[in-house]
Amino acid sequence: MSNVVDVLLSGVFAASILFLVAAGLQVVFGVLKIFNLACGSFYALGAYVGVSAVNWSLAAGLPRPLFVLALVGGGLALAFVGPIVERLLRTVYDRDEAFQLLLTFAVVLMLEDVTQLVWGTAPYSTGALYLSYGQALILGSTVPVYNLLVIGASVLIAVGLGLVLTRTRWGRIVRATADNREMAEALGVNMRRVYVQVFTLGTVLGTLGGALVIPSTTAISEMGIELIVQAFAVVVIGGLGSMRGALVGALIVGVLRAVAIATRPEVEMLLIYLIVIGVLVVRPRGLFGGAAA
Amino acid sequence: MTASTTRRRFLRLLGLGSGGALLAACAQPAPAAPTAAPKTEAKPAAQPTAAAAQPAAAAATPAEAAKAPAQAAKVPAGPVKIGVLAARAGVTAAVGQAGQRATEWWAERVNKEGGILGRQVQLVIEEESNPKDTVDRYRKLVLQDQVDVVVGGISTGVTLAVGPVAEEMGTPLLMWDGTTQNGIEETIEDPKWIFRSADNEVEAIGAALLTPKYFPNVKTVAGIGNDYSYGRDLWATYQAILKRSMPAVEFVLELFPKLGDTDFTSQIAAIRQAGPDLMMCSFWSGDAPIIMKQAAAVNLFDGMKGVFTTAGGVHDALKKEFTPEGLLLGYNSMYFDDPKASPLLKQFVADYRSKYNEYPAYECDHAFFCAEAYKAGVEKASRAANEWPSKEQVVKGIEGIEVESLSGRRMMREDHVMMGTWFQGLTTHKNAYDFVTIDPVESLPTTRIQKPAGAKLMDWIGTMPL
Repeated sequence: MSNVVDVLLSGVFAASILFLVAAGLQVVFGVLKIFNLACGSFYALGAYVGVSAVNWSLAAGLPRPLFVLALVGGGLALAFVGPIVERLLRTVYDRDEAFQLLLTFAVVLMLEDVTQLVWGTAPYSTGALYLSYGQALILGSTVPVYNLLVIGASVLIAVGLGLVLTRTRWGRIVRATADNREMAEALGVNMRRVYVQVFTLGTVLGTLGGALVIPSTTAISEMGIELIVQAFAVVVIGGLGSMRGALVGALIVGVLRAVAIATRPEVEMLLIYLIVIGVLVVRPRGLFGGAAA
Repeated sequence: MTASTTRRRFLRLLGLGSGGALLAACAQPAPAAPTAAPKTEAKPAAQPTAAAAQPAAAAATPAEAAKAPAQAAKVPAGPVKIGVLAARAGVTAAVGQAGQRATEWWAERVNKEGGILGRQVQLVIEEESNPKDTVDRYRKLVLQDQVDVVVGGISTGVTLAVGPVAEEMGTPLLMWDGTTQNGIEETIEDPKWIFRSADNEVEAIGAALLTPKYFPNVKTVAGIGNDYSYGRDLWATYQAILKRSMPAVEFVLELFPKLGDTDFTSQIAAIRQAGPDLMMCSFWSGDAPIIMKQAAAVNLFDGMKGVFTTAGGVHDALKKEFTPEGLLLGYNSMYFDDPKASPLLKQFVADYRSKYNEYPAYECDHAFFCAEAYKAGVEKASRAANEWPSKEQVVKGIEGIEVESLSGRRMMREDHVMMGTWFQGLTTHKNAYDFVTIDPVESLPTTRIQKPAGAKLMDWIGTMPL
């Protein structure tokens, strides 16, 4: 039993990070109709800034157990990157998708160089902070409390996003824009402002994901590219543009990978892409495709 | 958005996206990032000219005078140019940086002592990235910069491509860590111009020889390594030796996450499920401290032994807080804290520490050895030629040469494979650092862990003394 819990929780932990990045991808695609490869770079940027924020605030006297606040602060502070990149992408809104992808890929490469310039090429980490929250025993399985915290934070963000998008005026505008850009504009929605806001939201989801994950791992400059490939699988399975799709897709990819690694490690990635192909054949729009952002 | 446009857009995007990802994948085959632009730095020699040093060498002690060419006039003017291929980005960046730093330290030292036969050393540094670009930069070093020798090269994926080009171009190449092996098969049996690192597998061979000594009661073993030639070959080698020395051992699990992965919680869950007595891990870059930390978070090493063949390469990231005592840890060819350290190593560690606030890793030793072997090769060849030797003569001079490197005496075998001593031992917290060191320190000479010239690895493992 404890082994099953081990495997499942490791999958859910991976899924919760994957969800944040995929959600950023989805919300941006839903509204701006741009497939933003740079969401992986936002994740990496969040990781680096997370480490710096923790080191800086612990040195400035923040009590050790509160380091997670520094991480969240670092992730949120990176919101300023959103409007800058959005400004850059504005030049290709009406161009072919190929241009959009090339430009976002260019942003990936530029941000990777920026991280190398600022933080160097050596792996960058928060040392042993990860262990400072101790362990919990769940159904006989030892689980790092920090992992539970990340899962909890991700669930909170998912619920919060859902509420904002469905219950608030701003959420309705965003969904209306995603549904029919021309109609929303005709009704007086300031499209330029919504684009900036939505892109910034997508950015923060990524940077927050990176900042939250970093205590458990180490920042390396190419960590974003690694994740973007998995995020692809998530949005294809879940359905492009769908938030629920991001959630379910992330859970499927995260948990199935963990189960595959524990049972048949050689088919780990194959299994994910078999599911992708299966979804494309049976439900080409993805499990939740067609639903608005 | 309507359903039909969504589908169409989505499928197009998927195609484009996969193309983009493919582009990314092509641009960086394993350990090289596509972004870093080739950068050239010509390091000016620390000493302005060789002329000043020349008379000094001639007037030195009789022993030193013997080393100097009999007729100084026959030594060309101007500096000796040494091309350096050092990785700067991606997972090999830290290793490349270590090699470059050690080469710079060596050059500074040599220049202070008067250079090579009175000629100052000038480094021309280029980046090692993916195979294609690195081959181009190697050509540039030889053709445009007209270097006398090239040193560097960490990734065998890269040196496999550079090797044949270097053989064609006729300029000596001394590889720090790269080999010309495709998997465990040698691709250049009888090289003329290139000198290679010891086999990648020596680390696994050393660890496998020490496993029965330190972990005699192990019955089940799991392995984890990066999903490429290095990770898989080390695991195969380790198993092959253990099958001979501990025939009862059962291999219960093998995991090969991608190079560059940063989350191993699922792999760790799988290892806990398999419940082996020992885990062998060949991680060597940033992933080594990650798996160590994630393992500590679930007490993986409570009741399980660990063998980390290569993680000593990132030793200062293995913090005591998450790295337990009693793991077998390999440091490759140099252990910075060796109790039997030579004055040279002590000086190097002190300088490195004061300049970079870090403790050096093994790549420094390979880099120092390559540069020093070249210098000694030139000096040896010049004694025979009675002038500055040709590149052919230098290559002959390097064959079989023995020099003092950071880790002690090292030798370049006649078949152009570097020899030396590898260091492994059990991790301990009893030191003044915030990371683990090893005690006891086991010395593993390559005469014991490197296959003899011309032998096939697995054939040799079947008969090697255990």
